[in-house]
Amino acid sequence: MSPLSVVGVSHLTAPVGIRERFAFSSGEAITALDELRTRAGIQEAVLLSTCNRTELYLYPGSDVHLEAAEVMFAKKAGELVGGINQYLYRYDGSDSVRHLFRVAAGLDSLILGEAEIQGQVKGAYKLAESVLVQPPLAGPVIHRLFQSALAAGGRIRSHTPIGEGAASVASVAVELARKIFGSLSGRQVMILGAGTTAELVVGALERDGIGGLVVSNRSYERARDLAAKLSGNAVHFDEMPFALAETDVLVASTAAPHPLIALDGFRHAMGGGRARPLLILDLAIPRNVEPEVGGEANVFLYNVDDLREIVDDNLLARRASVSDAEAIVDEYADAFLRWHDARDIIPVIRNLRGRWEGVRRSELDRLLHRLEHLPADDREAVEAFSKRLLNKLLHEPTARLREGAGNGRAEEFIDAVRYLHDLKDTGPELAEESKQVPEGNALKDGEVEQEWTNTSD
Amino acid sequence: MVAFSLASAGVVVHIVALARFTADYGQLPFEGLGPSLSTLALIIGVGLIATIGLGEGRRVGIVLVPVVIVLEAVAVSLGLQPSSQTLDFQGAWFDLHVTLAFVGLGGLAVAFASGILYLVQLHELNLKRMGRLFRFTPPLTTLDRLVRVALVTGFTTFTLALALGWLWTISFRQSLDQSNPKVLWSLMIWIIFSVALVVRAGGGLKERRSAVASAIGFPVIVIVYLGLRMVSSAHGFFL
Repeated sequence: MSPLSVVGVSHLTAPVGIRERFAFSSGEAITALDELRTRAGIQEAVLLSTCNRTELYLYPGSDVHLEAAEVMFAKKAGELVGGINQYLYRYDGSDSVRHLFRVAAGLDSLILGEAEIQGQVKGAYKLAESVLVQPPLAGPVIHRLFQSALAAGGRIRSHTPIGEGAASVASVAVELARKIFGSLSGRQVMILGAGTTAELVVGALERDGIGGLVVSNRSYERARDLAAKLSGNAVHFDEMPFALAETDVLVASTAAPHPLIALDGFRHAMGGGRARPLLILDLAIPRNVEPEVGGEANVFLYNVDDLREIVDDNLLARRASVSDAEAIVDEYADAFLRWHDARDIIPVIRNLRGRWEGVRRSELDRLLHRLEHLPADDREAVEAFSKRLLNKLLHEPTARLREGAGNGRAEEFIDAVRYLHDLKDTGPELAEESKQVPEGNALKDGEVEQEWTNTSD
Repeated sequence: MVAFSLASAGVVVHIVALARFTADYGQLPFEGLGPSLSTLALIIGVGLIATIGLGEGRRVGIVLVPVVIVLEAVAVSLGLQPSSQTLDFQGAWFDLHVTLAFVGLGGLAVAFASGILYLVQLHELNLKRMGRLFRFTPPLTTLDRLVRVALVTGFTTFTLALALGWLWTISFRQSLDQSNPKVLWSLMIWIIFSVALVVRAGGGLKERRSAVASAIGFPVIVIVYLGLRMVSSAHGFFL
């Protein structure tokens, strides 16, 4: 079993008010990891801190190291009623490996299958790599672990629909706008009224590079304030119909008790007919736009129920793919654990071959000393024979050792081989091949670290 | 990139094959039904590459690739040999006439494919679902742009082809044989192009009308072509 451990808090164990007290900025994470190495002697570690989780991955995860990690978290979170242990979770061995793989795939995210976590996991690894200590915190086991996790996440995203379909009203709005207009570049957006969801929608549209934003409200002062906040322009409510004619996306979200945009008024504002597409997102209850407006040429009207239904359908499709995703997680986690176990075998195999190579050499020297009369060709033939014999004798035991290690019986096999062949304990050896990367998703040098504040796992 | 590479590879192989035809028979593959259909398939393939150049246009391949495959399959089954009949209209002007006509038909094929996808995406948007079809199909504006560009290009080149054919006819035969199925078919294609362009010049749902005209127009000319071929045996050669 892998001695890897993880300890942390997430949206599953702590509300946002608690989670934010555990959050580390990049600088704080580097300092914390440095201190853990200096004071507690941790070997390999990665600190993952996003809006929805803070986790410390440790290798090896001894009790001493885990206690040090908990102290670090306690120091960061400060005084908490009831202590921090009620919020912390901990996984060891294969459970910790599977946990990371599930996290990287978005299976443990607040929004199932969300994609940002992949970049955040990568960023956390790069952050550990940037801590200037020797040996590095992103050592061979952590390196392999995170590479495998990212590869698993990449495969899950490409082979299952876990990340398909928008999973929030804001992202549905953006997807609809993209499917109508293609690029949002140069498109005019109008926000009617104000509301958190409307602001989120407009924020998401703005990230796609809209051309301009107009804010209208019955209260011009409120419109002006919101326009200033969203870098748009405010228009008086009675000028709204004129602005509507120039609008490509309308986000309506007022608290008006009756529709503000009626069919007749709309037709009047459009001068008879709409020449280009208009996407209307009516997020208000009661609705701000008469349903009949949706029947006009080139108008695509979605009310809050339509949008919610789309989100629900998409989430349902994502949930249906969880079992396929979990199977991929298991496949990659098992491969990592086999690699980890086989890693302990490498020094034993080297030791075994070294021991019998010494025996072969000394016996060969003795034999050749007695057969000095043989011509050089024959002496070479004898030497080649001895090498072939040794290789054939050791081939099967070596293969069985690797196989046994791959089946989780590394410790048992190592003990048996050491005993039977009278081998010395060489201790763990970090073979160069430990650094080799599993398929896909290799971490690239110079990639920008993810700031936790910009993330949404 | 994969779609572009595959389409380009297919077009290059096709060009090599038709170049060999030209070298073997000493004439461009414009005479005889088999070579003509193969050339038309090549031009539609080139049209597909052009749409890929317009971003999400590669998705129209889902309609265009089967069209190309059917055309090529029919061409191969009919045999890739030149017609045994000798045409009156030959030489460089004939080659230009046929090339322009085929580019026109290729344009109509691209408009047909884009128009179908436009109607599919419109249906998905009105259905208020975000299913696989919604995600697969390109944005409405992209498809509308493809329809428009394909129709304008196709109409222009087809009109030039008709003008060349008419000029040749009145120069060497003095009059146009209005009962010739080739003439009737060509006029019908020109009318379909005109209708598809005229309906998108109006207001309201002009994009949808244009997409519908394109989506219907191409199958109509194929069906009419087949019908004319059946009745034209009495009139002798027809494409």
